[in-house]
Amino acid sequence: MTRSLNWAAVASLVLVFSADPGRAARGQAIGPGFELERSGRYADAATIYFTTVRSDPTNLPALLGLERTLFVLNRMSELLPLVQQARARLPESPALRSLELRVYAALNQTDSLAAIALRWAASVPRSDAPYREWGLALVDRRMWDEARRAYLTGRKTLGGEGTLAIELAELEQRAGNWEASAAEWVRAVTRSADVGPNAASQLADAPAPVHEHVARILTGPDASVRVRRVGAEVLLAWGQPNAAWVVMEQTLGQDDSDTQVALRRFADLAGALPTPEGHRVRGMALTRWADFVPSPVSDRARAEAVRELLEGGDRAGARRVLEAHADATALGQASLLQILIADGQLDVAAARLETSKTTLTADDRGALRLALAQARIARGELDRADAALGDDSSVAAIAQRGWIALYRGNLKGAMEAFRVAGPYATDRAAATERTAMMALLQRIQEESSPELGAALLTLARGDSVAAIVALRRAASRLPVQGGRLEVQLLAAQVAAQKGGDQEATAVALFDEVVRAGGAGAAPPAAELEWARLLVRTGRSAEAIPHLEHLILTYPNSAFVPDARRVLERAKGAIPKS
Amino acid sequence: MKRRDFVRSIGALGLTSFIPSFRHSVIPSLLIPMDDAQTDHLKAYGLTYKAIQAGLKAEWLLNYRGGSFLVPDLDALRRDAALNGIRFEPVDSGMPAVRGEIEANNMDVVPLEKAPKVAVYAPPNAAPWDDAVTMALQYAGIPFTKIWDADVVNGGLRDYDWLHLHHEDFTGQYSKFFLIYSGLPWLAEMVQRNSDMARRLGFQTVPDLKKAVARGIHGYVENGGFLFAMCTATETIDLALAAEHVDIAATFADGTPIDPDADAKLDWSKSFAFTSAHLEPNPLVASFSDIDGHQVNGGARRQPLGAFTLFNFSAKIDPVPTMLVQNHRQVISDFYGLTTSFTRTRLKPGVTILAEEEGAPWVKYVHGDLGKGTWTFFGGHDPEDPQHQIGDPPTDLSLHPHSPGYRLILNNVLFPAAKKRELKT
Repeated sequence: MTRSLNWAAVASLVLVFSADPGRAARGQAIGPGFELERSGRYADAATIYFTTVRSDPTNLPALLGLERTLFVLNRMSELLPLVQQARARLPESPALRSLELRVYAALNQTDSLAAIALRWAASVPRSDAPYREWGLALVDRRMWDEARRAYLTGRKTLGGEGTLAIELAELEQRAGNWEASAAEWVRAVTRSADVGPNAASQLADAPAPVHEHVARILTGPDASVRVRRVGAEVLLAWGQPNAAWVVMEQTLGQDDSDTQVALRRFADLAGALPTPEGHRVRGMALTRWADFVPSPVSDRARAEAVRELLEGGDRAGARRVLEAHADATALGQASLLQILIADGQLDVAAARLETSKTTLTADDRGALRLALAQARIARGELDRADAALGDDSSVAAIAQRGWIALYRGNLKGAMEAFRVAGPYATDRAAATERTAMMALLQRIQEESSPELGAALLTLARGDSVAAIVALRRAASRLPVQGGRLEVQLLAAQVAAQKGGDQEATAVALFDEVVRAGGAGAAPPAAELEWARLLVRTGRSAEAIPHLEHLILTYPNSAFVPDARRVLERAKGAIPKS
Repeated sequence: MKRRDFVRSIGALGLTSFIPSFRHSVIPSLLIPMDDAQTDHLKAYGLTYKAIQAGLKAEWLLNYRGGSFLVPDLDALRRDAALNGIRFEPVDSGMPAVRGEIEANNMDVVPLEKAPKVAVYAPPNAAPWDDAVTMALQYAGIPFTKIWDADVVNGGLRDYDWLHLHHEDFTGQYSKFFLIYSGLPWLAEMVQRNSDMARRLGFQTVPDLKKAVARGIHGYVENGGFLFAMCTATETIDLALAAEHVDIAATFADGTPIDPDADAKLDWSKSFAFTSAHLEPNPLVASFSDIDGHQVNGGARRQPLGAFTLFNFSAKIDPVPTMLVQNHRQVISDFYGLTTSFTRTRLKPGVTILAEEEGAPWVKYVHGDLGKGTWTFFGGHDPEDPQHQIGDPPTDLSLHPHSPGYRLILNNVLFPAAKKRELKT
């Protein structure tokens, strides 16, 4: 018995028990059969079911139990006379009729199966159940052609384009005929809008080579609005949000409840896509949906849309949404200011920030000041960055002032600010970055170093190549055991990360630091980074001596556990993660 | 004397056949502790293996500090230990205090003489991370060769001292995943590869081929081989052996249904460990018989995981089982496999139980002799991935260097290296 049949049988059983208390009482007699079946004693279970059927020939739970157990025992032929007898006593029972069809299918007697199905159909001329059960029995045997004929016989006899369309769609899908499946889903959706989500979910599984053909059927010029919306959802599921939105947008001509529901569903589905395009399309869908719903639901939708558009990199789109709604909420204003800062309109942002004092929350205001200060730093405008922070005394602002001091070359001031800010200000990545910088600074005896500050500012502004040169120059002015190795290591790390031509620079710097040795953390760190670079570029064999040297030379270094892991991986002793 | 003779002698001669463990070594040595002081238990086995592979003498101090090792104090071994993060302690030659303690307690010293040649039975396309033993060997740095059906059928096993069985289904039913995972590429490849091999070796069906492979492995053990099997290989190799002339494979595997009287026709005299089991006839249930106590895929029959306890054997009288249970933990969390455990009532008389779940009707880890060889069965798939599912990421043993479950695997690899000591004169 296939799993689908198993479930069908169990479902029937549940229905029978719940619909007829008398039968439920009789069903208790087969309880031990159930238990035996669950423990895998199928032959013993079958004996219980046989006993029940002998005293009650139409006992459906017992007959279904026999269907399950005799299939496993390869004794289905014993069930046929019992089912025939039961059906003769209760000819109107669809459950017994279905069971009879399944037994014939299991016995591979397809001619008899057809005859029995047609006889049942003749007794209920307006029902599609006989054709459905006939087809399903064949589908479970993977007899696609015969099943298709059964369904089409039903469609022809009963009339109607969409008759048995769902069954045919599922059949074609299981047979691998995705275009035919899509065509049947079109008929099914045309007949009933309720099956749209099911259609989209089923067609989402279509393999990539047939996507184009299936999409043409669902989104072509002849497709109805309802079908095109299914097409849009399918495109979303295939990871094509832009194409999906194009299709969806074309169906949004009228304001009705269907449109509203379809848009909301589309936006929710787009939310499952983690790509920037997915976020952008969700933002656009939410923006349109907000036009259909009243406030405050629409305000929340627009705020969410702006966030999504920003996540999707569509700042212009987000700004349009915000500007179109001048009475925007505090959340909207904060978003608009973020966009202005990200767009580089720092003066406009600073002015708006000044005038929005009363409408913005304290948290938003603090976050925007920091963002503005960081944007100023990225331009090299250290004084204006300092001014942007104003009188903010939060730990985040103190940490930011530490960076500004550092970029000015005031190493002592930076160290002090980082210490006051502590390890918990702002997020974990920023805290780690500060701690790493403090570790570097504590090796340097000088209280100020304008060269180092300028080099670090160049790095912060994103000019890696110039920063490497500047860091090397700043390092050369420091004593070997007084910070030079640490600054060289930083330059090497930047060069290694940059890759390409800079790899040679990185290797030269790593080599220099490793050769210098000494008590600081820089030499083992440099050797580990060097080995990592070699592993990354496919030269694991060259990395191994470096890692072994590190482990044996600096056995107490904090880098040893990491070095051992890289060594294991370089040797192939542990899987890549 | 060969290792197989050693194992036989241990069983036959008992305590009086051995000289006392006390010995006065004058060679400076490294003690590799295997209690909680050890920083990488798994790598320690690799270090000891490399020492004996290089022709050095090593000793296994059974029950002393978690089953510690003693290797010569050489620069190369110190270097290897440092690189791999293995803790060692330089000790005075002879270690009179330690040897005295061993002599006075349930402890013993077993010399390790020759590194066993290791074979792992696995399909050629199996990734190193598919199997706990392969991962353990790889991590510990113990070399091994992968072999498969053709090597076994053509007598290639004689080249190896120790054989591990991958989680193979020797009933030839593809772990009974055929219907459940129908259409998935990995299963299609498994079916194709096995069918091709059966044709190439002249067998009509895959179940016929696997039965022949099972018989080949049985013969290897009878002739002195050491066999270690895990997961479903334990249960299915015995089913395949007992079913030499009975069809126990579902229609999808060989084109014919299971013999309705298969249970009654099974000949358990041919199996390693189990007897009187009942087959699972449903092709949709990925379970083979009632040998497995946990029935992970058995629906309502599935049992929850507990913890298993290692038996404490007399080191001086039963050194083999003692070696197999050396550990720094006595109670270990259980882990599922297609075969997780072994129902007590299905064990043959004479099987040695090495670990059990107290109060449960199943055991976890069993051992026995067959002819000149020995076999050990360990239920479950991966000691550090208790709920292992198909498609799960591989276990990274560098994150589990103290795994007590993996230690049991490595005990098995090292125990064939043990040398029988000279008889007292």
